Amino acid sequence: MKTEHVRAGKQLGRRRFLALLGGLGAAGAAYPLLPRDRRPRELSLREADFYRPHDHAG
Amino acid sequence: MTAVACELCPRRCVIPEGGAGDCRIRVNLGGKLRATTYGRPSAIHIDPMEKKPLFHFHPGTSVFSIATAGCNLHCLNCQNWQLSQRGGEEMEQIYRADPPEVVKAAKEQGCESLAYTYSDPVVFYEYVYDTSEIARREGLNNTYHSAGYINPKPLRRLSRLLDASNTDLKAFDDGFYRRVTGATLQPVLDTLVTLRQEGVWLEVTNLVIPTLNDDLAMIRRMAGWMRDELGPDTPLHLSRFQPQYRMRNLPPTPVEALDRARREALDVGLHYVYIGNVPGHEANSTYCPSDGTLLIRRVGFMVVENKLTAEGCCPTCKQRIPGVWK
Repeated sequence: MKTEHVRAGKQLGRRRFLALLGGLGAAGAAYPLLPRDRRPRELSLREADFYRPHDHAG
Repeated sequence: MTAVACELCPRRCVIPEGGAGDCRIRVNLGGKLRATTYGRPSAIHIDPMEKKPLFHFHPGTSVFSIATAGCNLHCLNCQNWQLSQRGGEEMEQIYRADPPEVVKAAKEQGCESLAYTYSDPVVFYEYVYDTSEIARREGLNNTYHSAGYINPKPLRRLSRLLDASNTDLKAFDDGFYRRVTGATLQPVLDTLVTLRQEGVWLEVTNLVIPTLNDDLAMIRRMAGWMRDELGPDTPLHLSRFQPQYRMRNLPPTPVEALDRARREALDVGLHYVYIGNVPGHEANSTYCPSDGTLLIRRVGFMVVENKLTAEGCCPTCKQRIPGVWK
């Protein structure tokens, strides 16, 4: 087999790219685990649109 | 640690401190039973009265309709599951609306009636009760759309404040109730009889689901029970099922099946049998049981023509048509 020699500068660029890719993946995987405020949004009655179409039965 | 027993519905949940009942919204806080959605509706809309459906009660008027999260039934086919099968804290939004504000808003919008609907108003009972008291004082009507799974004592207390109710009779079969809704039949039948005894204008809805409750013999038994216990003038709404929530494996009810069920209920002796969720069907309309005159023509939820006399009678034969017409 022929050994492939990669230039040092190109190798560094590839490592940086792979590190960035890994970081993005880890951040994406951790995002749903972040604590978030899941409380319902509280609105006053004045903010209600009583005539908004809806599909509630009854 | 003090557990509390909720006496509101036949489930009679015993709730440990910090816990919630089956409905998700009735909780034990420090040994006291609280409804977490009191004054916190998640749905507020102005609908036509015909949408409830109430066809013999103030036809063609608007009704200010509210609901909070939670339900004491868990129907596999629930159309409002995003509202009913969640606790208040799981909703995306809630409104701050104490009873006086609800009544004030309804009046400002020109509504003659309020409706407690969409999820099951049984679980937000105290909110319904307090709002109904104020609405009654202010001259508004209280209407109530429920599955009727409530104990007799709280129902009788609330009935004094109710003007009309559409109550679901989901099937005339206890096995269906247990499998599909998680409830039982007898308490619902008791509710219907109680509402009738208390003088609340009553209409009944039966959602016809293919293969589960569309058996004509069952429809006949149900209609016969209604005729004998509630009276032949009690309107029955046979509604078309649409695949929803956890019951997406069944097709929508064929219109022919609804027609057959309607004929069966009319044969048994009910005078007013409607077909719902099929806009434009002739059985959206009201006919005189004596001479067949078209009295109120509806297309879907819209009243297109109302020929009833001022006294609520058929213009042709003068027979009085039961209902609350104004």
